[in-house]
Amino acid sequence: MAENARKLSNVLLSGNEAIARGAWEAGARLGSGYPGTPSSEILPALVELGDVYCEWSVNEKVALEVAAGASVAGARCLVTMKHVGVNVAADPLFTMSYTGVEGGIVIISADDPSMHSSQNEQDNRNYARAAKVPMLEPADSQEARDQTMRAFELSEEFDTPVFVRPVTRICHSDGLVEVGERQVVELRGEMAKQPEKFVMVPAHARKRRVTMSERTQRLIELAEESDLNREEMGDESVGIIASGVAYQYAKEAFPGASFLKLGMVWPLPPERIRQFASKVGRLFVVEELDPFLTEQILAMGVHVEPVDESFRIGELTPGRVREMIGGAAMPQAAPDADLPPRPPTLCAGCPHRSVFVGLRKLKAYVTGDIGCYTLGTLPPLQALHTCLCMGAGINEAHGIQKVRGHEAPVVAVIGDSTFTHSGITGLVNIAYNAGVSTVVILDNRTTAMTGGQVHPGIGETLSGLPGRELDFEKLALAIGIEDVRVVDPYEMAETEQAIREAMANPQPSVVIARRACVLDVRERGPAPVLDEEKCIHCGLCVRIGCPALFDAAGEGEKTLPRIDAVLCNGCTMCVQVCPVDALVVPAAGEGDA
Amino acid sequence: MVTNVLLTGVGGQGIITASTILSQACRLAGWEVKKSEVHGMSQRGGSVNSYVRFSPDQPIASPLIPEGEADVMVAFEPLEALRQIAEVTPEGALLVEERRIVPVTVNLPGFSYPDDVLDRLQATGRDVQVIRASETAVALGEPRAANSVMLGALSILLELPDEAWGEAMGLVLKPKAVEVNMHAFEAGRELVGAQSGAG
Ligand SMILES: Cc1ncc(C[n+]2csc(CCOP(=O)(O)OP(=O)(O)O)c2C)c(N)n1
Ligand code: SF4
Repeated sequence: MAENARKLSNVLLSGNEAIARGAWEAGARLGSGYPGTPSSEILPALVELGDVYCEWSVNEKVALEVAAGASVAGARCLVTMKHVGVNVAADPLFTMSYTGVEGGIVIISADDPSMHSSQNEQDNRNYARAAKVPMLEPADSQEARDQTMRAFELSEEFDTPVFVRPVTRICHSDGLVEVGERQVVELRGEMAKQPEKFVMVPAHARKRRVTMSERTQRLIELAEESDLNREEMGDESVGIIASGVAYQYAKEAFPGASFLKLGMVWPLPPERIRQFASKVGRLFVVEELDPFLTEQILAMGVHVEPVDESFRIGELTPGRVREMIGGAAMPQAAPDADLPPRPPTLCAGCPHRSVFVGLRKLKAYVTGDIGCYTLGTLPPLQALHTCLCMGAGINEAHGIQKVRGHEAPVVAVIGDSTFTHSGITGLVNIAYNAGVSTVVILDNRTTAMTGGQVHPGIGETLSGLPGRELDFEKLALAIGIEDVRVVDPYEMAETEQAIREAMANPQPSVVIARRACVLDVRERGPAPVLDEEKCIHCGLCVRIGCPALFDAAGEGEKTLPRIDAVLCNGCTMCVQVCPVDALVVPAAGEGDA
Repeated sequence: MVTNVLLTGVGGQGIITASTILSQACRLAGWEVKKSEVHGMSQRGGSVNSYVRFSPDQPIASPLIPEGEADVMVAFEPLEALRQIAEVTPEGALLVEERRIVPVTVNLPGFSYPDDVLDRLQATGRDVQVIRASETAVALGEPRAANSVMLGALSILLELPDEAWGEAMGLVLKPKAVEVNMHAFEAGRELVGAQSGAG
């Protein structure tokens, strides 16, 4: 591999790999973050490059504060998270804009227009303005590397954390990148005690606030001159101001137009924008999500062509930009409405499935959380009834039972990684405030949704070193929960019974359903076979929603279960729900011949 | 000229690996290339699309293939081919894996897996070739090499040098998987060759 990389000056990198590369080349000494699509591959790529201490922190706030410390100690730090992670980290973020940095801090906010893997579509450019933190926006992998390096320089020069905001189509797109060597960057300063800079009491913060305004002024001057922003003049009848991936879509749709491409989206260069506007006929701003650039440009007194509100929702595409600017209708494909959709589903053999089968039977109102298990909301399981943000489910259950009492059949479910991220405080709250709720921790020994990252409950760290394993049972007991049970979700009856008993207990309770995610398990049992004679076509097996088990009967006919032996992981849940033992696990050796 | 290849199928089928091999082959040929896909939620058995755009002589702007401009679609599952058919130009070519993966939604009222998928694809007038990729890979003793069978078939339609493909597979795959995947790739080439021969 290394040989090929040397032979050609270019390497093929995803935006995420390019960000890691940029941080590595810029001499970063610490990388921290919490997984979240589309940002999750950045830190593992940085670990791979070597030389940089990296960790999955417990959550995004912790990650940013770890970086704040390392920066005080003079190190360059990369902090990675998805867009909603910035909400969790917002508390330190807003004040770090006041303190500034010693070693440079670059925060990656990976946004997800169209919500490919997210619960909302927030536009984190708004954070740049709100926190007064400069933000760069890469348009391809090369820029992802270059801007990350640049961001470290800006951070130290302007004494501020700096945002780099890639979106899903940058993080998960590959392109050719010219790379360089790692720079030797010494730790900055001597850790001199600087209370006026790092102790944000009102008297100090008021002074820093003034410094921040001066800093913004200097950043605007930079934006006016910097090559981060560039003009590409073509046909002057149409001018387009764009940044990031939106620039690429616009360039694809209108290759001949004139462009002002912004690499820095906050703060903006008013003079450059006015000049560009004066040179072109009609001026468009092409941006995904909020009218963030548009409103600022309008406030400069520059006329911008209005854009239909529908373009403020979801990702843009070359076709959508054509429609937005040229009014050209997109070729409308005759939609094949009769095709069965293929949404994501819990894997065949997923240990979460049995908990949801049990909860469905118990007719519980399930306050859920975020992870693979959120898929328990889909038919046919339909056994998860809220999903707000990480950590919310436990608190929602508590809230419901404070107004509806213990009689309300409420159960909170939360994944093991989510529990360590932001569930523990909720459990403390329940114990402290005399709550009654039942919390099921879906302990599949991984952060499955985002690609299987380790977390405190596993013990092992991001770099593969042994860490101390968080013991959920002992933790719950220490918090003051006395009813703590551990079950194997592959034992369906036992799992259901444990939840039933926990719900009946008027004291708060925790059920830990512990079994590894099937993606982490190598050996698998044989696929069951159907005894056609015995099957009474009741459909109970099909109703557990396993992707390896489908109903081969035609419309209106009785269920005819069929097992896809390639997809089956041999978990035996269908065998366990069959009331007449029509599904049979072949004895060892039987099917191997 | 820019060539647009859309790879489509179901999460877990090795589509991202296949598109990475294709992109690396383009890079090794000295071409400009961009690739885009979505990771995360969609990989839990949901529909997956990967876009690869390349050119021997031109820069590429959008990482997404503009609507309706895919020159070739490599479909790892017939239903997914039908779902994405409008993304392919009217003159475009389709390579479609024969093996069906039935989505769980057929268990819900109102949905079933249509049995005329291939007819409907052919009726669009595009050039459709059915590839028995899984069957071929299973015969080679490695079901997971079906994606390399599809790549072998694709290689017949593209003008990438043979060495670039081989080298790309060596770069992307785990060392012990390379050999069987090379065989699968060759088998894929022969499958298309045989069909073309038969007219
Ligand atoms: C604040 C925030 N950070 C990160 C994410 C991305 N994310 C969604 S769920 C999840 C964790 C899933 O792990 P776990 O709770 O163990 O459930 P599993 O997927 O393993 O079932 C992560 C990291 C998010 N939605 N919100
Ligand atoms: S990846 Fe693991 S946790 Fe997620 S659905 Fe599959 S088996 Fe379940």
